[in-house]
This record gives sequence, structure tokens and C-alpha cells, in this order.
Amino acid sequence: MKHACLLVLAVLLPACGPSAPTDAYDLSKMDLKPVPSKVTAERHTGAFAEGAALNLGAELKPLDPSPVKTIRLDTTHKIIEIAPGVKFSAWTFGNQVPAPTIRARVGDRIKFSMTNRSDEAAPGVRLTAAPMMHSMDFHAAMVSPQDKYKSIAPGQTMEFEFTLNYPGVFMYHCGTPMILEHIASGMYGALIVEPRNGYPTKVDREYMVIQSEFYAKAPPKSDKAGIYTLDGERLRAAQPNYTVFNGVHNGMVKNPLAAKVGERVRLFLLNVGPSKTSSFHVVGTIFDRVWLEGNPDNQLRGAQTVLLGSSNSAIVEFMIPEEGSYIMVDHHFANASQGAIGLVSTAAKPPATELEHHNMPSVEATPSDAEAARGKLAFESKCLACHSIGQGRKLGPDLAGVTKRRDAAWLTRWLKSPETMLQTDEHAKAMLKEANNIPMPNQNLSDAEIREYIKYFQWYDAQPKGAVGAPMAGH
Amino acid sequence: MRFFLLLVFFLSAKAWACGYCVEDKIAAVYEHAAVSRSLAGGRTVVFFAIDGELPPGAAASAKTRARIEKLAAAVPGVEPGSVRVSVEAAALAIAYDPKRTGLAEVQKALERKLKLPLLAMQVMDRPGHLAAARAR
Repeated sequence: MKHACLLVLAVLLPACGPSAPTDAYDLSKMDLKPVPSKVTAERHTGAFAEGAALNLGAELKPLDPSPVKTIRLDTTHKIIEIAPGVKFSAWTFGNQVPAPTIRARVGDRIKFSMTNRSDEAAPGVRLTAAPMMHSMDFHAAMVSPQDKYKSIAPGQTMEFEFTLNYPGVFMYHCGTPMILEHIASGMYGALIVEPRNGYPTKVDREYMVIQSEFYAKAPPKSDKAGIYTLDGERLRAAQPNYTVFNGVHNGMVKNPLAAKVGERVRLFLLNVGPSKTSSFHVVGTIFDRVWLEGNPDNQLRGAQTVLLGSSNSAIVEFMIPEEGSYIMVDHHFANASQGAIGLVSTAAKPPATELEHHNMPSVEATPSDAEAARGKLAFESKCLACHSIGQGRKLGPDLAGVTKRRDAAWLTRWLKSPETMLQTDEHAKAMLKEANNIPMPNQNLSDAEIREYIKYFQWYDAQPKGAVGAPMAGH
Repeated sequence: MRFFLLLVFFLSAKAWACGYCVEDKIAAVYEHAAVSRSLAGGRTVVFFAIDGELPPGAAASAKTRARIEKLAAAVPGVEPGSVRVSVEAAALAIAYDPKRTGLAEVQKALERKLKLPLLAMQVMDRPGHLAAARAR
């Protein structure tokens, strides 16, 4: 009996002591068992995206507890609106840009399928991109790209599966050459992999923010549909004309992310590029925690900005200290001025004045003419610091009615070389006096840009009174 | 014999899982409208990898593409208007009438005309059905 008790103690005691730390990255315990992919000609019909683990917008649902996530993301070609009046011929996963966010955790099995439906015409929309081959490349997967990331032709369906071994926020994208074109056309999304035992902190709100660039070429005047297409030259030179959060220029300014005072917010960030870095910052708060690549083992505390290269990610957490709108911005302000800006706000609809500091527009009406639309965007990005349109004089004059006060030739000369005009033109000299001798700086505008500004002013002045809201004045 | 060895090389997925490269080459010359037209006419579309050396550089690339397109289009059995070439991806797509000729004959004629060895990668004889190329 005595021996039996000792034996039981000998077995139990080691289990009661401090347990040896387990290695979450033990390769021998990772699931790397390959299952060959399958390509068939059986086409998916109906919804373009399916799966309980999918999140279609910025707000994230809690983790679906199922250990097997069945995901379907079909590829489509679709017209999307990336900025007011800028309809762009996009290629998608799940019929949206960015594609739905997948949420899972370490150890989960992803069963993925995708039909290339780029040959299906969207109802009522003229497609500008011909059907083509597409593929899927999950950065979260550890698989043979030769087997799983094969391109499939329109009408084909690809199926493969893999297990998630590392926590993180991972990009997925089309990997068919030219990859640059496929990503720049909208074929990207995020796969969030939570640590096996969840995150070490509790939060009140969780949002996904994906930064990306668009390289859009304006349609020729003869194109009545006015569809912008991918600008190959801009793309190869890495010169985007829109840099955006969640696919839309200033999208989260118009529809801010909600949070309340005292709440802790967790943002899942992914910069998909394809070619620019992001210096992600939230005005008015400090990141209590930053988990680089979305993995809590890669932690920073008290950070102001997170630097994300193409396909880099992070999770950031911060507190909302008081009522207000906290501005998410790419602190590389050239990118911010192209639309990489958004709000986390304690108000459902933040007062327009809160945007003043960052020169954001509040108008919904927008010109249908492509040149005027570009002029509007440029005006809102560059001019609101000194001018308003319809909101009264600031450092410079209110530009509402400017095309009625001055003709296009005068405006062209003025915008081209204000310093010359200030020496030679009586109106210009009078304006300088009104501005307390602070001259209008030369903006080094091209002839095309000047034409776009004037087109916008002409459009604005042609609208019925009160039909157009005013863009917010800047500082 | 060389062709046979290369074909075996391409078809033995376990020995050489080259699907990625193959699919990428196909994507480079896959033009949906042309493929759909050929399939609707009962033709078979075949995608080749060009195994020979091609001159580098953008200017040379344009010239080479035009040259290959012209020569390939003149090969008996090749469907007029079906030739697509990517010099960058070293790939070629053509369509032929399977009632009149076979893949091996078309390939042989193309190689003779182009003076370039070709590797038949995959064929499509109905929409959405890419299959391993086998001499027919």
C-alpha cells in the first residue's frame, strides 16, 4: 500500500511543478501535411464569396470557433468607385476591393475554393477588362506554390487546403503575371491568424484597415461610360494617383470607424502596396501596443507610427482618451493627400469642422466630367489650406463664383505664374493687398492640372445654389 | 526522342512540379476572346513553352514577337488569327483543327518553321478544361 502511494505521488508530483515552456514555433508540431490541389471545370454559381470566417467590411466579427474554415472567393471583373466620380475597372476576389477579410487562428484548417468568373458579365455594367487567368497566393500558407498557386482559366475552379501555423495578419493576392497589374487592379485581401490561445489583451473594437494604391488612367472623352483603367506607365514608375484605406479615397472620413471614450481599439493593418510603404499613424493617440506582422511576439510599446512595406502588416491598439475624431493617416503625407486618411470617431457622424486640420472634403456632389473631378480632388488636397469654396474668405479669396469674376484665360495665367501677375496685373495687385501682402505661391502646376482646376471651378459655379456642399476649409 | 523526354519531363508532376511556371506561361498568352472563338469552332488550343534562346530587350522583344507570330501563322494546320506570343514569358499559343491534324504534327511543323524547340504544356479543347498536352 505504501509503495502504491509513493508510486502515485511519483507520477503526480512532476505534473504539479512548473511546466516546461512550450515552443509555439516548434516546426515538428506544425501541420505541413500536403494535400494536392484540385482544378476542375465545375463552376461556382451564385454568391462570389462564402464562408463563416469572412468579414466583408472594416468591422470584424469575432472569431468563428470552427477548426475548419471553408472559404470560397471567386474572381470577378467589376467596376468600382475608388473616388467620387472615378469609376475604375477592377479585378476582384469575392467581387469587392479589398477582398473579404478571413479570420481564423493557429491550428485552423483552411479549405479554399475559387472559380475564375472573370468571364461573367456583371448585370448592367460594361466590362472593360477581358477575362483572363487568375490565381490565389496566401501568404499565411506553407505550401508548394507550384501546386496551390497555379493560374486557372475563366470557368475553372481551384481547390486546395492548408493549416495555419503562425499567427499574424497575412496578405493574400493574385499571383498570376504580371502580378503587379493583378494587385494594382484590386486582387488582394487579408487573412488574420490569431494566436492559438487568442490575443493577450482585451479590446472593445476591432477593425481591418488595408492600405493600397490605384494607378488610374482617365477615359478618353469619347468614352461615355467614363471608366478609368489601369495606367501601365504610372504603375511601372510607382506613381499612384490614389492611395487609399479599404479601397476608397477618403472612404473612412465619410464613414468613420466608431469608438467610445475609454474604449480600447485594435486595428489590424495591412499595406498591400503594391509599390509604396505606409507610415501609419493615428492623430491624437499613441499605440499602447504594436504587434509587427500581427504577431504578439513581435511587440512594441508606446509607438507613434508603424512603418509597413508592401505586404507588411501590424496590429495596433490604443485608447480613446476623450470625445473626438482620431485621424488615421499615412504620415507620408504625399500618400495621405491621395486619400490614405480615415477617422476613428466617438460621434456617429463627426462634425465637418473636425476635418478642417486635414483638409478633408465633406461634399457628396461631384462632377461627372473626368477633368473636373480630378480638379476637385486636387483642390481638396492642395488648396483648402488657404481657400474655401462657398465658405467665405480665408487667407485667400473664396473661390465660389471665381469663373464669373475672372475668365478662363486670366485664371490660367494666374495659376501658371502668380508672381508674374502680381507685377503686371491690377486685379492681382489688389488681391495681394486684401491678403495682407501674402502672395499666392506658385504651385508649379502643369497646363493639364490648371485646366482641371478651372473645369472644377466652372462646374461648381454652374450648380444651382445650395446644390453642392462646400469642401472644408483648411488651416 | 528529345521531344519524348521533354514531354515526360513536363507530364511527370511528381518528378518536377512545374505547374506554377507552366500556368504562368499559359496566362501570358491566354486571350479569352481568341480561345473562346477557337473552341466554338471546334479547334483545340495548345500552349507551348519556347525552349530556345530569345533575344533580350524590349525592342528586340517586339520584333521577335512579330516574327514568331508571322511564322507560326504560316504553318499548315495553325488556325488563322489564333497565334499569341509572349517573348518575356517564352510562351506561344495556337489553335489547330484536330480533325485535320494532330498536336505532334503541328508542333513539328512549328519547330521547323521557327527553328526553335517547343514544349507542349497544356491543351484546351472545351471551355475551362486545361489538360496536360499529350501527342494526339
